[in-house]
Amino acid sequence: MQGRLARDGLAGVILRAIAGYGLNRRDNILAFESRNFHVTKSYLAKTGEVNPAWILVDASGHVVGRLAVKLATILMGKHKPQYTPHVDTGDFIVVINADKIRFGGRRMAHPTHPNFTAKMVSKTYDHYTGYPGGRKVIPAAEMLERKPEEIIRLAVRRMLPKNKLGRHMLKKLKVYRGGEHPHQSQVPQPKAV
Amino acid sequence: MRARKGHARRRARKRLFREVKGNYAARGKLVKMATETLFRARAFAFRDRRYKKREFRALWITRVTAACRARGIRYSQFIHGLALANVELNRKSLSELAIHSPHLFDELVKIAQSAAPARA
Repeated sequence: MQGRLARDGLAGVILRAIAGYGLNRRDNILAFESRNFHVTKSYLAKTGEVNPAWILVDASGHVVGRLAVKLATILMGKHKPQYTPHVDTGDFIVVINADKIRFGGRRMAHPTHPNFTAKMVSKTYDHYTGYPGGRKVIPAAEMLERKPEEIIRLAVRRMLPKNKLGRHMLKKLKVYRGGEHPHQSQVPQPKAV
Repeated sequence: MRARKGHARRRARKRLFREVKGNYAARGKLVKMATETLFRARAFAFRDRRYKKREFRALWITRVTAACRARGIRYSQFIHGLALANVELNRKSLSELAIHSPHLFDELVKIAQSAAPARA
């Protein structure tokens, strides 16, 4: 890759641009270089070429959807300049404290839950068992108690591509309700999102 | 003598099947379906040669956005700043620089920031 772009020649061109702002559009920098190197193609990552990092995210106090957007971006690899739509260039994410996630909406008084909101009542998680009349409806508040991991996982899943690649990306998301996680050996780096 | 079509027809069919080789089931076996398949394939190819340009531009913008955000600047501010600084590198070049020469991209971000100071 480095040889392909001939780093020094490129640096020269850029420095000229920086120094005199004298570069015009026709000096498409790669076309410029290609007079010598025949390079006009855009970079496309190959599978396994972009090494995934491990990231640790603390979900406490975050609003579900707003957190999920950021997680999905990282899983897809859209936070890296090497992003390639047909290749998974994303990182692994370990989410802890999923049970301390918040929902949006108007705040409501609640005897035990400090961040109780209207959405925890109105939002429901529905699924169908396959039997007639088998539709199960779980209010968000109940889901938060029973399966807080599932709240984050579902929110992120629906933001990822609906295909094999998307399902593959989702597997890189590890969600845990407490502060503990079994991925110590991957040494996930804490990241504020 | 009356001209007959045997030879020409066979050649046409061979050529047709050569082009639709690999298509699913009857699309690569029967003249009628193969003809339609080829017709549609060419129409898609024509359209997608045009789409290709938009899709790549979108990809470059996504990549430049990622590189910008990692450096604490928005894509729109970055592009605006470069325009004010008369740096006319196109999005393709910018995205390739972000991948292969991150240190040069750092410099470009500085140029953009000094040309268009971020509003509070």
